[in-house]
Amino acid sequence: MTFFSGILAFLTRMWTLFTRYNTFFAEGIKNTLIIAFFSVVLGTIFGTLMAMLRMSKVKPLRYLATAYIEFIRGTPLMVQLMFIFYGLPMTGIKLPDISWIPNFSRFAAGIVAMSMNSCAYVAEIIRSGIQAVDHGQTEAARSLGFRQSQTMTMVVLPQAVKNILPALGNEFVTVIKESSIVSVIGIADLMFRSKDVIAVTYISLETLAITAILYFIMTFISGRFVSLMERKMSNGTK
Amino acid sequence: MEQSSPMIQVNHLCKSFGSLEVLKDISTTFERGSVVAIIGPSGGGKSTFLRCLNLLEKPTSGEIIFDGVNICDKKTDINLHRQKIGMVFQQFNLFNNMNVLRNLTAAPVKIKGMPPAEAEEKAVKLLTRVGLADKLTAYPAQLSGGQKQRVAIVRALMMNPEVMLFDEPTSALDPEMVGEVLDVMKALADDGMSMIVVTHEMRFAREVSDRTIFLSDGMIEEDKPSRELFAHPESQRLVSFLSKVL
Repeated sequence: MTFFSGILAFLTRMWTLFTRYNTFFAEGIKNTLIIAFFSVVLGTIFGTLMAMLRMSKVKPLRYLATAYIEFIRGTPLMVQLMFIFYGLPMTGIKLPDISWIPNFSRFAAGIVAMSMNSCAYVAEIIRSGIQAVDHGQTEAARSLGFRQSQTMTMVVLPQAVKNILPALGNEFVTVIKESSIVSVIGIADLMFRSKDVIAVTYISLETLAITAILYFIMTFISGRFVSLMERKMSNGTK
Repeated sequence: MEQSSPMIQVNHLCKSFGSLEVLKDISTTFERGSVVAIIGPSGGGKSTFLRCLNLLEKPTSGEIIFDGVNICDKKTDINLHRQKIGMVFQQFNLFNNMNVLRNLTAAPVKIKGMPPAEAEEKAVKLLTRVGLADKLTAYPAQLSGGQKQRVAIVRALMMNPEVMLFDEPTSALDPEMVGEVLDVMKALADDGMSMIVVTHEMRFAREVSDRTIFLSDGMIEEDKPSRELFAHPESQRLVSFLSKVL
């Protein structure tokens, strides 16, 4: 009995906290989504380009892309983030402050670091998705007289998409979670705001529980959305 | 161009993968309208030789002259050249993302600019000939191996090739499906199509092909009219090969 009443009391405290500090959480969620959204979009765009470089026939380009991907994947995101935020200004590269967007330089650093990181992972996802398509498909297309580019767009990519989408969906979800790291450079994301709430109320467990649930809702919804897209796409190609 | 000159002339063709010499100085010719079988032990270079003929493998040295043009020359437009050569693979390699109709019409429509309606009509006509007219909208995954290979043959035929290359077309098939594919190939040969067939089907080589080449260890060991080659094998290697497979 006491166990259940204990849980009930905990939930009640969570609810009270949540309603009282909902503006904190709301702003945190908003900023987390902004960071995640731009990182995913930029990460995917540059990741696609990076994958093309990685598979390029021009050796220097290929080596450069490989080095970038290996290095980014082999170092902590935390270090990359700090490097961009604290390190770059020391070399004279300064991200500008834009007056009508508060904290633009912080946000820019966060988004740049997150997208640079995601880019490397996306590149590998795309490369392995393309290389997983049976080489016989390419040979058959080339033997009929299709050019390399036609072979890619008509035969290889439509099949690669099926390999790529699920992994890319996972990457999106990962970016949402990993974005909590930008709180260390003072971006007021969900993690940052929940630490604020703890600082004000000294109630940590309940606050963290709320934070976890909010992150889960975000990842769960985007995960569902991604698998919905997947099903739509695979219906089209059979 | 004089009709008497061979369709394909191969001069001193060599191919190495790293330090491994797969083809050692091969010279031969292929006449228009002839059916040539290439037999030999595994790893002897049969498939590599066939794949050199449409440059799926780049020869290390030597030349391949097709219709008077050296296709190994860098200036030759290989895509244009490949349109004249149909290829059928051991693993069928139908495009998995397209149904049968699109598999057949993609190349003539996109490469040759054939009107889609005309391509479709032609596809139906050829599919009917191989007994698969009802599979027009099926995807490769829904076909049996024998059906896939017949579609693959039709796909190559859609481009009106001057010659058809077959790379062990029946080796990946269940035994009961070998016949249906060989029948299609035989009908094609009877129609006068030029064919070069790498095969383990000795009966096909003996009965359908005009000429058989025995390729072993990267060299042409014996090259004769099929009946003669099977009736009177000369080289020791061919004798021992035939004693194993017949």
